[in-house]
Amino acid sequence: MTLIHVPKPDVKSAMNPDRPVNALLKAQIRHLHDAERNLPLRHRTDIYINAIKTEGEAAKYMRQVTEAIHAAHEAAAAKRGRGIAIAAAADEEPPGKAPRANGIKKKRTGKRGRKT
Amino acid sequence: MPPGLDNLSHIVVLMMENRSFDHMLGSLTAVNPQIDGITGPLSNPDTTGALVKPQPLAEFQGQLDPDPDHHFPAVDLQIFGGDTSPGRVANMQGFVKSYFNQQEDVGHSQKIMYYFAQNQLPVLTTLALEFAVFNRWFASIPGPTICNRAFAHYGTSFGRVDMNPIDIIEPFKSIYDRLINAHPKHTAKVYYYDTTSSTMEVANLLQNEPELFGTYQQFLSDCSAGNLPDYFFIEPNYSDHDTDSGEEVASDQHPDHNVQAGELFIASVYNAIKQNPNLWQSTVLLVVYDEHGGIYDHVVPPACTPDQFTASANDTGTGQPFAFDRLGVRVPAILISPWIPRGTVVNRVFDHASIPATITKYFLGDYSPRSPRETSADVFIEPNGPAVDPTRNLLSLAAMRTDCPDFDV
Repeated sequence: MTLIHVPKPDVKSAMNPDRPVNALLKAQIRHLHDAERNLPLRHRTDIYINAIKTEGEAAKYMRQVTEAIHAAHEAAAAKRGRGIAIAAAADEEPPGKAPRANGIKKKRTGKRGRKT
Repeated sequence: MPPGLDNLSHIVVLMMENRSFDHMLGSLTAVNPQIDGITGPLSNPDTTGALVKPQPLAEFQGQLDPDPDHHFPAVDLQIFGGDTSPGRVANMQGFVKSYFNQQEDVGHSQKIMYYFAQNQLPVLTTLALEFAVFNRWFASIPGPTICNRAFAHYGTSFGRVDMNPIDIIEPFKSIYDRLINAHPKHTAKVYYYDTTSSTMEVANLLQNEPELFGTYQQFLSDCSAGNLPDYFFIEPNYSDHDTDSGEEVASDQHPDHNVQAGELFIASVYNAIKQNPNLWQSTVLLVVYDEHGGIYDHVVPPACTPDQFTASANDTGTGQPFAFDRLGVRVPAILISPWIPRGTVVNRVFDHASIPATITKYFLGDYSPRSPRETSADVFIEPNGPAVDPTRNLLSLAAMRTDCPDFDV
């Protein structure tokens, strides 16, 4: 088995977050911006994408929107889960109570004590 | 049945950015003449009329700045040499002219002909010599990144030849949707590098199906745990950026990003799979580039089956519509598996539509609907069955190789 040595780049000279964004990153920003428009307001960034000029700025924007997309889906899934949990709880009778014969719940008529 | 196919459970695609075949692997003709790279008589005229030969003078960074134009009109010039007549013939004579248009500097325009010496790219050239290298893998479109990557995920770009977001047009589905909705169900994933680099599949997949995505760190964990999906697509880091754990140098090899950083990345993907013996024997890794990035290649892209979409003259920017009836410029593509004989050279024609075509055929068998381009694309892994054609099966060894290289990353 041959072991091939892989030279590492000099990170100091290779790394340039101030490099102007290339056409590929510009497109990626536009695509993310399109995706961001579909997010609920609370998940959106307030970043003006036309002002993004460098790779470092592009990276910050991408991170925020990518994480926001994941967060928005997780929030929606959690909400969906809560909805299912509430529905499941409604189907269950509290322990010790027999199910009503007619399956109809009695409406509560009296007011509960008002919180002050 | 061939044991390589019997063992195969995972297919992986790593798609890098914007380098042509001759630029990255052209030097290998000197080592193996079956590899169709740089030979003596190749040249391109510059704007003074002088002939510029390919030379092994490529540098890792700082040489291809500005980024060579690879949008549709520029690639048209590169392929046809500036001839716009109806009966024109592709000649690959317009690369230097095209790069000249960006800076009007004759000396600088000649750098588009430079290629890497073999010893500069120890990872890519070793993989090409050790496993299967494709002499005729072309970009799907003579155009830029997004529409070409769309072919890898959907088998079509839905009529787009540019960098705009893709509108998915029914009935065509992504390869991921096909797999995860199949019966029996398959698993599929896209590993992007990190949230800061994110994915080129944002508009369509990430915003609607974020559960399909993971990070490169998750890929490494999944490799260690032997928990990889049936099919997965890996994206490199597309930007230089700071993270919580330090600085990350772009590894996509897009000019003017550092090429050595990409070499390291390719080696780390290979190592991650190889270090888990169960994965290594059951996984095939395809390393391929999305398009040529405006950099010289000498092989004329062939005509192909038209897609059912047409890009308008306005969209192409050339004054002519495009029926998706010609492939883009040739790119490096290497298939890696311990079941592939050392030094395999493949001469059949492929493009990125071959990716969903292969994955679909291998995991799902007959499937429709698929785009005309995907339906006619060749497959690089034969479907396993009683009648595997030995002349087409690349995973042909009777016993797994034990002499595959390791990379010191």
